[in-house]
Amino acid sequence: MNRGKEETRGPDERTSFTRREFIKGVGIGGGAIVLLGQFGVHAAAWALSGDPVLKMIVVHYAKCTGCRTCEAACSSRNRPASVAGRELPGLGNPRYANIRVHSFNPDVDVPNVCAMCADTPCVKACPVEPAPKTGRRALYRDQASHTIRNDTGRCIGCRSCAKACATQRTGVISPNPATGKPERICTLCGGDPQCVKRCPFEALSYVEVRRDRKFYGLEPEKIAAELARNWYGTADFGGLK
Amino acid sequence: MSGKPGYHGVILNIDLSSGKIEKREVAPQDLDNFVGGQGLGMKILWDRLKKPGVDPLSPENPLMFMPGPFSGLPVPSSSRTCVVTKSPITSPLKSDYPHASTVSYSNMGGFFGPEMRFAGYDGIVITGKAKELCYVVIDDDRVEIRDARKFKGMRTDAFDKAFLGELGDRRYKTVYIGPAGENLVPYSSILHTAGRAAGRGGVGCVMGSKNLKAIAVRGSGQPSVADHTRFLAALERARTVLKTSPFAKAMAEQGTASAIVRSSNAGTETVRNFREGTFPQADKIGGDAAKRDVWVRDIACYCCPLACKKSGITKGKYGGVVHDGPEYETGVMLGSNLLISDMPGLLKAIYNLDDLGLDQISTGNVIGFLMEAYEKGMIDRKFLDGIDLRWGSVDATLAMIEKIAARDGVGELAAKGVAALAQRIGQGSEKFAIHVKGLELAAHNIQANQPRALSYATAERGACHLSGDDIATQNKRAVLDSIGLCLFPTFEPALEEPMLSLLSAITGREYDRAEFAKTGERIVNLEKMFNYREGFRREDDRLPDRFFEDAFTIGPKKGAVLDRKEFDLMLTKYYKDRGWDPETTKPGASKLKELGLDSIV
Repeated sequence: MNRGKEETRGPDERTSFTRREFIKGVGIGGGAIVLLGQFGVHAAAWALSGDPVLKMIVVHYAKCTGCRTCEAACSSRNRPASVAGRELPGLGNPRYANIRVHSFNPDVDVPNVCAMCADTPCVKACPVEPAPKTGRRALYRDQASHTIRNDTGRCIGCRSCAKACATQRTGVISPNPATGKPERICTLCGGDPQCVKRCPFEALSYVEVRRDRKFYGLEPEKIAAELARNWYGTADFGGLK
Repeated sequence: MSGKPGYHGVILNIDLSSGKIEKREVAPQDLDNFVGGQGLGMKILWDRLKKPGVDPLSPENPLMFMPGPFSGLPVPSSSRTCVVTKSPITSPLKSDYPHASTVSYSNMGGFFGPEMRFAGYDGIVITGKAKELCYVVIDDDRVEIRDARKFKGMRTDAFDKAFLGELGDRRYKTVYIGPAGENLVPYSSILHTAGRAAGRGGVGCVMGSKNLKAIAVRGSGQPSVADHTRFLAALERARTVLKTSPFAKAMAEQGTASAIVRSSNAGTETVRNFREGTFPQADKIGGDAAKRDVWVRDIACYCCPLACKKSGITKGKYGGVVHDGPEYETGVMLGSNLLISDMPGLLKAIYNLDDLGLDQISTGNVIGFLMEAYEKGMIDRKFLDGIDLRWGSVDATLAMIEKIAARDGVGELAAKGVAALAQRIGQGSEKFAIHVKGLELAAHNIQANQPRALSYATAERGACHLSGDDIATQNKRAVLDSIGLCLFPTFEPALEEPMLSLLSAITGREYDRAEFAKTGERIVNLEKMFNYREGFRREDDRLPDRFFEDAFTIGPKKGAVLDRKEFDLMLTKYYKDRGWDPETTKPGASKLKELGLDSIV
């Protein structure tokens, strides 16, 4: 397979990557860049050194083919069906997936999923008063899974979190058209992310990354532009931003 | 609406003459008998065109976009959309009707069919003709016809981008024609994602005749399934089969391009306008060369684990092309068939054909014919508007492609296809005008491949390399094109069981191997009845004389040629085994009754 024409680099060069070089060949989890793949265990060790770790979905863009199996797998788990009183995996309507593949011309596909940003601009944007007992706003970070969750009972549907995500990070949060409450936030499927499990091309992984990593939350268009420039020498996607 | 599981039961009807948009219920028995896709499209075609001889470019001819019951579900490789209409390119030798032509269907991968089903439709039927160039936007229930004049003449790559810009959401899936379709070149294609095409049989020409530049669709729903638990279990088995299939792995490696060298080595490649079956320079345009010099990415259609499409960028004199390919058909028809072995030049031709919206197969065939006629001195440079159309010339090929798309000068005649060209040029050129019923043959040469000769001769849309080399395969493939599943994964034999189980679980109708085959046979027989009514007879299932007279002079199959007597016997047996009259090819009354077609035709 043509898993991207990645530049080969030795592990010695690991400390001299520029932001753009990261994006060229390696994975970016929801826009967060980590070291993987051909950079080997040395690089991974570097990525993990020193700081507390966080497990999240990481995309290897050179491997993604744009097939959208991840969308179906995500939706199937996170939007289950009720059949004869039993809860079963759903049929995988991609509209309800928390991961979404953005496809471009020239051929570039960018799966977009919650970057689990360490500084949570979405949570900070939530105007709901923190609960005295838990200190949580309506939108909060779950301390066990580190996922972002929404307390729908307290959420006022103001769309501030979605706006913050769209302007500052990946834009993955979508307000429900009727209620305005945030949707499409990754649940990590309780620790067994179905997108990772079902990707036929091993383009997604569920890995530990440094929590204080420097780069995260790039919007899909920016990632696509970097990839297209690197692969095809052009980033002209036409009129749509 | 029909209440049948696996379907919405709704066909979206858009009449571009009146602007009337209507959601029509599909008769449940039509879904049972014709499944979807190609089959259901054929049934609608039969119902709509009540009389033979309808002009395919008239407003009356329906242009249909047909997904199948697998579409919109995460079944591996269920990405296909079948475009069905009456062909603007085929014609019988004799008929009472001046506009007689065959059925036409052309199948494409990508994301359009699934998205149609998300939007709530089992098919889109376009009739009529808009006053000005228009496009259609479908957003779930909301359907609008809009002015497309500003996009007039726009090539498909630029249009693909500009159109999404206009729509404002990347989630829209779009199909469209290029300048060739607008100019009514009979073998125009319909493009999707600027690199996937419903190329064959002139579907883009019919779209152009309706003044329809494009359709965009976006949806939020999904069809149901009859047996949820069984569906999930069969889905799991299908995924597992393809995960471990050596065939699937090979497709992921180089797609169909790996066959460029393989087929040349087997003496089954289309070379030098079908004169030879082996191309000594095949390795220069094959999968290994493309992988080394061009490709950067594997691209997959909806939920497909094969990713047979490869995209890249070329360098050199014809460099700078960002596109997918070569695939087997595109690489051979524009490469070995024209003796072009310059990879960037080949990809430039492939890109330009997609960009202009021309069928790669027919166009490559037409240019090969002209190159041979030019070499033989049957036509001169003046005939070709000054183009020095020598074998292997990339520049001349690129120039001819532009002429054809614009129907300019020699392009006006060349746009009509090889049958029309041979008629005009005469001098015995019909011997190497490589078509059946007016549709050009593809990249599978047949002097050394008699079973494929049967496929070309008997396919109901005109020369088709995919219709199947025998009755059982033909019946099976007619259903495959009806359920929305791609042909490629089904080359893995272990997929058959999960596939039948999935179809049964989705539709609630039990499909075993026999029922599947019978459904396909029903579809083929309906197509045959349509063609028979138009005036097609056994003499139309003929192959050009080249295949019986010009033995290969090079390669491992040197000396290979088809035997006319053997071929005729094979045809006779085929009709008899089909239950058709071997003299006329008319399906027998008992066969029609057996298939439940007696009440329809």
